[in-house]
Amino acid sequence: MSDTTTPPVDGATERLDVRGGSIQITRGGHGPPLLFLHSAGGSGTWLPFHGLLARRFEVVAPDHPGFGGSDDLPEVEAIDDLVYHYLDVLDRLGFDRVNVVGASLGGWIAAELAVHSPHRIERLALLGAPGLRVPGNMATDIFLMTPDQVVATLYRHPEVAAATAPAEPDIDFILSVQREMAGLARYGWAPYLNDPKLERRLHRISAPTLVLWADHDRVVPIEHGRIYAERIPDATLQIVEDCGHAMYFEQPGAFADAVTEFLEAGP
Amino acid sequence: MKFVFFHLMPYPYLPDDFDERYASPSLDFPNKHFDPKLGNKLYHRYLDELEHAEKLGFDGIAVNEHHQTAYGLMPSPNIMAAALARRTSRAKVMVLGNAIGIRDHPLRVAEEIAMLDHLTDGRIVSGFVRGIGWEYYAHSINPTRSRERFNEAHDLIVKAWTTDEVFEWVSPNYEFRYVNVWPRPLQEPHPPIYIPGAGSTETMRFCAEKRYTYMSVYAPTPVVKRWFDGYRAAANDLGYEPDPEKLGLSIPVYVAETDEQAHAEGRQHVEWLYHKGLKQGIERVMPPGYTSLGSLRGMLSGRGKPPNEYTYEELIDAGMAVVGSPDTVGERFEQLMDELGFGQIISLMGVGDMPHYRTIKSMELFAGQVMPALRRRSGEPRAAEQAGVSGG
Repeated sequence: MSDTTTPPVDGATERLDVRGGSIQITRGGHGPPLLFLHSAGGSGTWLPFHGLLARRFEVVAPDHPGFGGSDDLPEVEAIDDLVYHYLDVLDRLGFDRVNVVGASLGGWIAAELAVHSPHRIERLALLGAPGLRVPGNMATDIFLMTPDQVVATLYRHPEVAAATAPAEPDIDFILSVQREMAGLARYGWAPYLNDPKLERRLHRISAPTLVLWADHDRVVPIEHGRIYAERIPDATLQIVEDCGHAMYFEQPGAFADAVTEFLEAGP
Repeated sequence: MKFVFFHLMPYPYLPDDFDERYASPSLDFPNKHFDPKLGNKLYHRYLDELEHAEKLGFDGIAVNEHHQTAYGLMPSPNIMAAALARRTSRAKVMVLGNAIGIRDHPLRVAEEIAMLDHLTDGRIVSGFVRGIGWEYYAHSINPTRSRERFNEAHDLIVKAWTTDEVFEWVSPNYEFRYVNVWPRPLQEPHPPIYIPGAGSTETMRFCAEKRYTYMSVYAPTPVVKRWFDGYRAAANDLGYEPDPEKLGLSIPVYVAETDEQAHAEGRQHVEWLYHKGLKQGIERVMPPGYTSLGSLRGMLSGRGKPPNEYTYEELIDAGMAVVGSPDTVGERFEQLMDELGFGQIISLMGVGDMPHYRTIKSMELFAGQVMPALRRRSGEPRAAEQAGVSGG
């Protein structure tokens, strides 16, 4: 049902004061509300992927504390703090029940949120989400990689990334990447991008769930996707071909289509 | 002037394809490259060198902590200090330091240093370090909490040493309901504390406030000068003039009979230290959050290249190693003293893959000819100042 005719929709940023500081939210589109939780890279930017989703939904894309345009919030230092943070954000925005789409780090947060408050979630999409502890199949350590290695690992076709990154990164660019990496480290250094208790709690999720994975994900092994799909009561695993963990950066159209189709299939 | 003989205890027997094949000797350089028979001999050889330093008149002998690396074979520096404690009788036994940022149990450090204080009859010096970046990977300790863990562990250890009643400790990273360290240390109020600095103004102020010894890490002289000036400025702000002995210059040293011979012999070992021992990318040394964004901005704008990219000549010119005849090395240290104002030299003389006989020769020339000259000179601060002025 790929919609190739409607152009992507723009988003606009706003700020929301929360405990300990303020966060940036980018919002765009009309339709049922969709909370989008971003991956560790690329926060603070309204990407083609967001614009494609915003053709059918009111996309609300906050930057996590410590990322993009959001402040570092001293009280948010671990994954459980992020869950309470987003419950506060949903309350503040007046959303009782929303669609939640989370990619990578954001997918982990989405899964934790759904476990904590299943009734707040209409439909759930987890894209290449870490969060599970899978001995022998742990997520790849991207912290120890050089920037070139990170790009080569994230993308099925690294040349796609080369076109978007500055050839000679200036100090501000380097620092913004370092801040995102430090944010990821704050929440996911140890245990490494996982919550040992998450898997046994997945049965609590009541929303229909799409587990969406790139076929060449070299960061979070597909095994994680299989476990999510198996343990979440009403879940389906779907694969996007010819793509790396960078997912919505590398193939925004395919990911937006799959997510849109799944969310619109709901009641 | 105080002279410290510091050992890293490197493992020098790297495979021939090390340069091409491995990103670093640290963290994930497989331990199949550690030959237990050779390693066993190394430990005894290196301890012999430390003991020999006392006999030669060094004021202190020093060890430190590193994990999962051929750069240094002392995951537990306190064990090495214990091995030295009853084999020596005069020199300070210095642990420079315990990496309290990566320890889950700071009280264990308080206990061990207190024990060492007794084993050495009050000669122990207690350095505290955060632990280098790769050790946060090795121990799965979150680098974004490094600084606060270090600060809390330091405060807890010092309080444990100086409180004579049971107390409760609760801080963001540690909780202990009953703190009651037996034994208490021998030295009053506690063993001297050394802290290495690498440019953080927070650390300079911290050391100046506590009157701790502030020691440099390997860096070009102008950079070390900024650090030492920062420490002095912090002390001045607090209303006092710091004793030069509270500033320690850490530096690799090689002395041979002539300059020519010293460079011919020393070059490969200095190169080993910087090009192999310290071969490591930024992601290994400074994992995310280990350094604040402000400090990172300062480092990036400084435009300095990492030490492992310096050529041998650049290392010598930059003051990242002192190599030469006894006269040359003495003169070089005089220059450095005038420029930097330190009162303690923390010399690394078992440099890189240096064989035992060269280390011993260099130590003996240094102790026999360089140390006496520098001691005489530092006894005459006025003359030193004048020499500094006339030298431009």
